[in-house]
Amino acid sequence: MEITEKQKILAELISEGEKDSAVKMLTDWAYETTFKEVIFNVLEPMLVHWGKLWMQGKLSLAHGYLSGKVAEEFYLIASTDETFRTNKSETKGTIILGNIEDDFHPLGRRLVGIYAQAAGWNIIDLGSDIPAEQFIEQAIAHRADIIAISAMMFTTAKNIIKVRQGIEQAGLSEKVKMAVGGAVFKLRPELVGEIGGDGTADTAINAPELFDRLMKMKQK
Amino acid sequence: MTSLERIMCTLTGEPTDCMPFTMLLSLYGASLIKCKTSEYYRSPQMWFEGQEAVVEHFNPDILISPFSFPLEAEAFGSELIFLDKYAPNVRKPMITKLSQTNLLVEPDFDTSDAIQFFLQGISNLSRKYKHTHAIGSPIHAPTDLPALLMGMEMWIDTLLFHPQETDRIMRITSDHFVKMGNEFLNRGATFLVVPVNFTTPMIITEKIFSNLIPYLTEAFSRINGPIVIHNGGAKILGFADRFAKLPNVIAIVLEPTEKFEEARSITNHNIVLMGNFDGPDFVNMSEEKAISKCVKILDNRKHDPHFIFATSNADIPYQTPVQTIKAVVNTIRNYK
Repeated sequence: MEITEKQKILAELISEGEKDSAVKMLTDWAYETTFKEVIFNVLEPMLVHWGKLWMQGKLSLAHGYLSGKVAEEFYLIASTDETFRTNKSETKGTIILGNIEDDFHPLGRRLVGIYAQAAGWNIIDLGSDIPAEQFIEQAIAHRADIIAISAMMFTTAKNIIKVRQGIEQAGLSEKVKMAVGGAVFKLRPELVGEIGGDGTADTAINAPELFDRLMKMKQK
Repeated sequence: MTSLERIMCTLTGEPTDCMPFTMLLSLYGASLIKCKTSEYYRSPQMWFEGQEAVVEHFNPDILISPFSFPLEAEAFGSELIFLDKYAPNVRKPMITKLSQTNLLVEPDFDTSDAIQFFLQGISNLSRKYKHTHAIGSPIHAPTDLPALLMGMEMWIDTLLFHPQETDRIMRITSDHFVKMGNEFLNRGATFLVVPVNFTTPMIITEKIFSNLIPYLTEAFSRINGPIVIHNGGAKILGFADRFAKLPNVIAIVLEPTEKFEEARSITNHNIVLMGNFDGPDFVNMSEEKAISKCVKILDNRKHDPHFIFATSNADIPYQTPVQTIKAVVNTIRNYK
């Protein structure tokens, strides 16, 4: 079957909400070829394409959520495949991801995780309502390159300052960059600097580009 | 012609003396009376005084009763946060794990301060303006309310993968919608305004929407009055034909970038179309720009007897200059 045909079938299954069938089909294709082939030639191009359609208002948020769930489950299966693990190319780096303390709006964060993982980043997703100390502990434990923090409202975004302070206190400011994102930063871009962020992206699909930029800043 | 007569004529397609209009000035009342939003959204009296000031300054044909969906979510147990110059928001949804949906019960109207705020707000408004103005009462769609109670992600997940929980939640929010909506009407609302921020093509798939239609049909059929579907903050044209066919729906408010011609072509000709001046963007406009946008809409709908000029999306911001709003109001009132 041609790759474009596979992408079309996958898109139809996801549109119909058939998550399990989509994951099974990807897995079957992976065993017919390789996980690497399916991830790089079928799944990831489709994720990027759908992300663009979503930004243009041509697909719903639920489509994005569904494709993310399919990707998440398929990555998990791929991670158990010995050949894939052995052949897996090096990741771009490690990102500690989470919603800041008191923030319970995970959707944007999860989409960032999915797009960043698809782009080759190793993602450690801590979840929602994460205190500053936990971001720092996990960054040290995983030798992270970036801490990426999501906040929807101004009141919760202010809690991110504590992460910046933690980075400084731990002497990590040269080693760890801090990305911030969420609705409030789109409304008030000046807030990125005010709470100590190194950069932001206006949509989840643009987050991998931001991470690439921050990695370059770090390497300078 | 009173404002009420003007609106009633528009519903039946009869001529009016001037173009009817409304604006979402719920929050703006606090700005006019210089009231802290934390007090304004807790006191039906302060809120009412804010709306009296709205009538005094702008005199819209449709007055809007208290508008704050987070307050409705608070009645179910979600936690709120109050910010200066903004309407309250949900800080923490009441449900943070799917297993907690069992905790979801309808709020008790008598003991819920949040529900009482809505009810007393409508009573106050109705007492003074019922015979002169139409009163539109915002109420969260039963399909949208769960997004505030559990967060958007969990509600999408539930709709996609948990049909039993979906059914249980929808029964509770539908019963709540019917009870509260009918109480709004009993207290003097002319019609309900049902924003559908979540139930839109921007958020859910066609398949999810099709699964939700039976719930909306059942709930709307139990409402004892007319319903206006409001775009909330999202594009709704993709679902507009099916919204227009739901029981008791008389009008649809479009999103600012959506085309009236397209809406008219996919809905029946008696449906009132409303919109589509961007309310939240008011604050960024000069008077000239606001007037120009207003005239463009009025020109487009000049020959449509079923049209009401309205702001779309969320509240007009607190900081919007009075003069900018007045400029638009004067343009509408003098438009021929």
